[in-house]
Order: sequence, then C-alpha cells, then structure tokens
Amino acid sequence: MNILIINGSPRGKKGNTEIFVKHFALGIKAPCEIRCAANEGSKQLAEYSQLFDTVIIAMPMYLHAMPGIVMKIVEHMEPAEDGSQRIGFIVQSGFMESAQARYLENYLSGLAKQLNYTYLGTVIRGGSAGVSMMPENMNKKLFAQLKTLGEQFDLNGSFDKEVIKTMARPVNLSKGKCRMLQCMNRFGIGDSMFWRYMLKTNKAFDKRFDKPFRNSSGTT
Amino acid sequence: MKTVVIREFGDVAVPCQYELDLRITAPRDCTGCWSCWLKTPGRCIHKDLDAFYRAYLAADKVIILANVSKGFVSGDMKTLFDRMIPLFLPYITYKSGESMHVPRYDKYPAVEAYYQGVFSSEQEKKLYEDYIHRVFYQFHSKCDVVEPIAQFSLKEALR
Repeated sequence: MNILIINGSPRGKKGNTEIFVKHFALGIKAPCEIRCAANEGSKQLAEYSQLFDTVIIAMPMYLHAMPGIVMKIVEHMEPAEDGSQRIGFIVQSGFMESAQARYLENYLSGLAKQLNYTYLGTVIRGGSAGVSMMPENMNKKLFAQLKTLGEQFDLNGSFDKEVIKTMARPVNLSKGKCRMLQCMNRFGIGDSMFWRYMLKTNKAFDKRFDKPFRNSSGTT
Repeated sequence: MKTVVIREFGDVAVPCQYELDLRITAPRDCTGCWSCWLKTPGRCIHKDLDAFYRAYLAADKVIILANVSKGFVSGDMKTLFDRMIPLFLPYITYKSGESMHVPRYDKYPAVEAYYQGVFSSEQEKKLYEDYIHRVFYQFHSKCDVVEPIAQFSLKEALR
C-alpha cells in the first residue's frame, strides 16, 4: 500500500484539516505522502494521485460540500483503468451535526464509482471549526480517534467502522438540543462566545453586523 | 424586476442588470481565512466579486446557468458558492432544527438554476438538484427551480 493524502483545505498547513491529517498519519507505517491542494495546481495533483494505489482526500466542509479547490482536483481525475486504486475521504466541518455533510458523502461515494476506484468510506467529524485554536487537552479524544483510525487503516487498508460511527456523532440535533443551543446563544455562552472572542481580538466586534454591499436605496 | 445572471454556458442573452460569466471571470478561490467574518466583516480579502455581491443583493431574481461537472457543480461554481459566505454571519441559529448561518442582510434574491450536462444515474441527478436547493436554503433564498436547461428554453419560448 502506498498512500497519498491530499490536504484539501484552502488554508493549507495552517488549518484544522492539517491537524486531522497529521494525527491520522501518526498511525500509519506504510509509505505515505502528504500534499497540500492549496499550494499546487489541481491538474498536477490529480495526475500525481494516479501514481498511488490509495488516495485519501481530507477537507473542510464548505456549504455542505467540498471546497472549490477540491472540486477542481476532482474535475481533473481520470477513471482508473484496472480498478486497482482505492479512495477514501476525511471531512471536518464547523457545524456540529454530521448529517450536514450527507450531500458530500453521497457525492463522494458516487464519485469513487465514477472513477472506478474502490470506495473506502468517508470519515465525518462535525464541530471542528475551533480545533486549531483549542488547547491540546480539549482535542485529546479527537486526536486519539484519528490515530486509531490511522492505525486501523494501516492494518486493514480501510477506515474502522466503529470509529467512523463515533466521530460522526451527533448525526442530527434533537429538538431539545436545538432549544438548548439557541438559549445558550441568547445568553452569549454558546458558540457565539467563540466568535465574540475572535472578533474582539481583531478589533472588529463593533463591525460584526456590517452590510458593506447593501444597495444605495437601503432596501437590502 | 432586477435580475442577475450567473453563467457557465450558452450565448443567448438573458435580460438582466448584471451578468457574471464564469467562463470569462473565474472567481478567485476562497482561502478559508475568515477575514470576511472576523477581521473585515462582510468583506472578502479578494475584491473580484465586489460588484457581483452588490448586484446579487440588489436583485429580485438570480438565474444560474450551471454546468454539470463529474456529476456535481463545477469547481468554478463551487468556488463562487464558497465566496458567497461573506453575505452571511458566522453566527449559527438552531431555530430550524439544525445548524444554519444567520443572515447578514435583510433580503436575498429568489434563485432559479438551470443546468447543462449528463448524469450517470437518476440518483446522481437528484443529488445535484438537491444540492443546489440546499445551498440556497442555507443562503436564505427562495429556490423553487433547479431544472435542465431545456426547461428554461421552453419557458422563454412560452413567454
């Protein structure tokens, strides 16, 4: 098994996806190369991926799907001739419920088929927007899961189904959970706390509701 | 009625106040920097879509003529969607029973999408249509129409 991991984050090595990739790769002993979509031409990277029997594309979820730069790589990928190549995906998203990525997951499984690759599955982890900013101990569980995922991948050449299932929780938000989160937001103790902190750090808090492209008649 | 056209194919002129032809001006990719949320709220670090943002927000209707690329929206179209995130706040509302971004503006245009291209299965076609509906649901726009381009030509002919 020779593995190519493509970090599909537009933030390259500075983003959350890079952290996911690093911890996943910690568990892998097989030859494994990591490349960043943000720093390379999409066509070159798509062509380069043909040299590997196993390709893993890791990415942040943007608008229920892959970032534009990942779709540009996909557009350049050619179907495998002998069907011996395999492809899997790791998706991390800001929204906490993994069901938000179901469009992407459905698309990626279909894409594998279209490319004549064996589909290895898609790992989805929500609530990951702040991973790069959180203290190490708050990410401990996530990092352990990613390492286990890597180790199992190294052993079996596939993602561990139980780990995938655990990481995908919560799949949906219950009515009660939504009410609670909405209430926390109202009191400024939910995820709005994170945004407030970041906006204040950047001295942009007073401008947070700016509407710079409102039309001149003021109707939007 | 103010109309904006986002186009990836075709030469038939559609009467509109503003047209973004992705074949001529492919938008610069989102860098994921979050400046549009956290440093210069509402403004992207790239300036290439500023006129588009203004026209989009002033429009009553947006007509999208989109390609099907590997069974999905094209990379350029996806980049455009990514680059529309400055029009929304980073804050999340759970009122609809799931996570959704809070609108930054009071009003967003209605969207109609017409596509050109082939799908390998009915399932793939449904996913493409559902995905575009979903994007504009997230973007707080009414989007009742995601149809093959033939439907657009037919409607135009009947007008």
